[in-house]
Amino acid sequence: MQMDNFRNERDQYFKEVDNLNHPNETLVKTHCSYCAMQCGMNLRVNTKTNKIVGVEPRYDWPVTLGKMCPKGVTAYQQVNNKDRLLKPLIRDDQSLKGTKNGFREASWDEAYDLIVKKFTELQENYGKDSLSVYSGVSMTNEKCYLTGKFARVGLQTRYIDYNGRFCMASAAGGLNRSLGIDRGSTIPWTDVQDTDCIFLAGSNTAECHPTMMFRVWAIQERGGYVIVADPRETPVARRADLHLDLRPGTDLALANGIVNLLIENGHIDAEFIKNHTNGFEDTKELVKQFTPEYTSAITGVAPEKIIRAAEIYGKAPNAIVMFARGIEQQIKGVDNVSGYTNMALVTGKIGRAKSGVATITGQGNGQGGREHGQKADALPGYRKIANPDHVKYVSKVWGIEPEEMPKEGVSAFEMFGLMKQKTIRALYLLCSNPAVSAPDQNYVREQMKNLDFMVCVDFYLSESAEFADVVLPTTTWAEDEGTTTNVEGRIIKINQAQMPVGESKPDWKIQVELTELMGRGKYFSHLKTPEDIFNELRVASKGGTADYYGVTWEKIDKQDGVFWPCKDEDDPGTPRLFLDKKFNHPDGRAKIFALPYRPSAEEPDEEYPLRLTTGRVVYHYLSGNQTRRIQFLRDMCPDPFVEVHPETAAKYNIDHEELVRLYTRRGETTYKVKITEAIRKDTLFVPYHWGHEKSINLLTIGELDPISRMPEFKACAAQIEKLKIKKVQ
Amino acid sequence: MKKRLYLELENCIGCRSCLAACTQCGGHEERNRNYVYDVNPLVNRQTMPLMCLHCVNPACARSCPAQAIQIHETGAVLSALVEKCIGCQNCTIACPYGIPKFDTEQNLMYKCDLCIDRSKDGIPPMCASVCPTNTLQWLTDEEIEAKQKQFNLDNGKWVTSMPYLEGETNVKVNLPGILQGVTKLF
Ligand code: SF4
Ligand code: SF4
Ligand code: SF4
Repeated sequence: MQMDNFRNERDQYFKEVDNLNHPNETLVKTHCSYCAMQCGMNLRVNTKTNKIVGVEPRYDWPVTLGKMCPKGVTAYQQVNNKDRLLKPLIRDDQSLKGTKNGFREASWDEAYDLIVKKFTELQENYGKDSLSVYSGVSMTNEKCYLTGKFARVGLQTRYIDYNGRFCMASAAGGLNRSLGIDRGSTIPWTDVQDTDCIFLAGSNTAECHPTMMFRVWAIQERGGYVIVADPRETPVARRADLHLDLRPGTDLALANGIVNLLIENGHIDAEFIKNHTNGFEDTKELVKQFTPEYTSAITGVAPEKIIRAAEIYGKAPNAIVMFARGIEQQIKGVDNVSGYTNMALVTGKIGRAKSGVATITGQGNGQGGREHGQKADALPGYRKIANPDHVKYVSKVWGIEPEEMPKEGVSAFEMFGLMKQKTIRALYLLCSNPAVSAPDQNYVREQMKNLDFMVCVDFYLSESAEFADVVLPTTTWAEDEGTTTNVEGRIIKINQAQMPVGESKPDWKIQVELTELMGRGKYFSHLKTPEDIFNELRVASKGGTADYYGVTWEKIDKQDGVFWPCKDEDDPGTPRLFLDKKFNHPDGRAKIFALPYRPSAEEPDEEYPLRLTTGRVVYHYLSGNQTRRIQFLRDMCPDPFVEVHPETAAKYNIDHEELVRLYTRRGETTYKVKITEAIRKDTLFVPYHWGHEKSINLLTIGELDPISRMPEFKACAAQIEKLKIKKVQ
Repeated sequence: MKKRLYLELENCIGCRSCLAACTQCGGHEERNRNYVYDVNPLVNRQTMPLMCLHCVNPACARSCPAQAIQIHETGAVLSALVEKCIGCQNCTIACPYGIPKFDTEQNLMYKCDLCIDRSKDGIPPMCASVCPTNTLQWLTDEEIEAKQKQFNLDNGKWVTSMPYLEGETNVKVNLPGILQGVTKLF
């Protein structure tokens, strides 16, 4: 491709539209702080006060064209929110852990001194690995990259992992295994409207990634098809041509059933299979068993619907398979990903425009944040800590000896197990709120309470901060700059619109300062700006699968983002993967996997006859720590609820809006009932954005996928009970 | 080129981004002036926005004893003038859709003005700018005509493109059912 004047595609929706410029204001181009759609937006900044005062659409962003969901529209209200932490907080009385009480304001010096003292003491007494870092991917690549280095070179601990284990880990595992590369999407989003069939599995697209919906609807307006596999009739399922209303946790059977029919119907691409894949014959043999009737018995989806789905996908000239947390947050999440990817591989509907496979990434930087080494087993550029050559390369970039590189750690949820055993004694938590988002909350909260020492870095006092000894105030996304990598694999630029609020500091700065105080400054002090960090990341990722070496901030601006891999200055990036039909396994072939079906970790039984599944609402993001503080979003959805089918409600004698007790083997809580026909009769749904006693994760199960170590948020066995109304005396 | 607000009700997912965006318009004092309804909440997730249609001969303005509701040269039916509105709420009762809202503290009606500070210069209103599904669009007359032709359907069961509902309006609407007449590709 010719580099000069290259610009990523603009599609039929692109229009030149003016912005409204209010007097005494300037507009700062950036992207939303929340999900991986990373919708373009302009922040309105008052030029007298230099404060962010509002939002203006960014019509010229080719992916979203000014569109935003209600979270995006109100995102700016995080910045000057009354709940912002303005100074470091210290809590001296450890008995108050697990509450909001006992914190006092402190200077940065005092907070740093205490952290360094405690960390040093613990490491002297219990070894380097007694410290742990638990991070997140709702922050820039620069920060994610530096956090990995901070843990391994700064703190010299092996224990670092991140909240992507609750988000993208299964997609990563499945895509790596099937395609040899984990770039969430094989195509740019500007292809979506032009495909002939979109197959959405376990994605509540309309609520979780609303700004791609105009593209999904456009497929139908052209006469194409939308197929949705989901236990609930979500807003996208409501208008879909076909809604496969499967039981939670049975995706693998559905995928196998469809692949079987694609083969039987002769809708496969034999040439493609022969030249570009391995594993077809074994898979063909295995899926034979998954007849429509057999598949229907497992999934609960009518055989006719399965047959029709396979027919539509098979006949479509172009088709895209997309999936999300619904299929990934299961103990067979990785298998589900490979299972649905098989649909594209047996039909050859991959490696060209308007056809392909994509996971719809959750967190804003869920893609970039998992590529650059804050995952227990990974180093920058998607390198592996278990590979001596990879360790050698990254050690050189970091200026350490390969022997100094800590070994592989454990996954996020498994870190709580090591806290219980006292292998891990201290925690440095940033950009995450596991006291809401982790499964089996009673267990998780107990481990956090029993830590010898905990630091939480956040811009609000989150539920997890309530367990900390020291809370450090950091900045929101709008008070710093850097890059993120969006749902497509496009690296984009976040710009600073306001100076940090109060005494807050960006995460990268806190880490550089801490390492200097711990005597490790020589590895960090040269990093004075986010761009310095990005330039080091470029070198650290060079030659890796996720190669960012050719990406510069300037190129991002000029081209409307850069799709990785981007190997050198002349490389404009790679919007579409596998155009040469070369996959990233050593032999250049993709792998079609034969995947035997297995049930969920906890299937319903007499005592717990219902299936509990969890998810999101359009008004809130992740643990709700940010969105619950925004008035508009709180007004729209103040509290969680449990969705129950009217027939199930009648069986339990419960009414709409009545309070019920919901319980599993791990915990219980009470919710208001929302009666709706838009859910299976055997399934209950609760959104997970709330903490304390409102948290549905008090009930979810901590069983993990063997490969991705992803907990099974999407299916466990539950029971519901009408609350006995006590008579008022 | 003059553009209008165009509604395609079938597309709505109930995200209420249009309400959030309405609060962001410069002249809106952070209060939204539009509505989104759950059509049948105990049954399914169907929703639809309810917007001022900016009637050509607006009942709200006609019913106002104080001439507080002005019509802008673009056709936008504006919010009540603070100094003229007497708080009688005739407008809300007169409007076939009950659009004008009332602020009891200020004793003042407020309604959609099509983000007049934007739309007077051809910049799309906030709601149509952000709507993630293209339920709300800002289009030229030619584009609207093409849309209404594409989805024109009156088969006894579905009526999608009608010239207008109650009276002629500046905002154009396509009712649910737009997909019923689409020929499938295969
Ligand atoms: S939350 Fe996601 S869809 Fe909503 S505005 Fe932000 S980036 Fe866009
Ligand atoms: S923004 Fe659009 S999709 Fe969302 S509620 Fe309003 S009209 Fe419906
Ligand atoms: S829709 Fe109602 S408020 Fe809007 S112009 Fe017509 S009568 Fe007035």
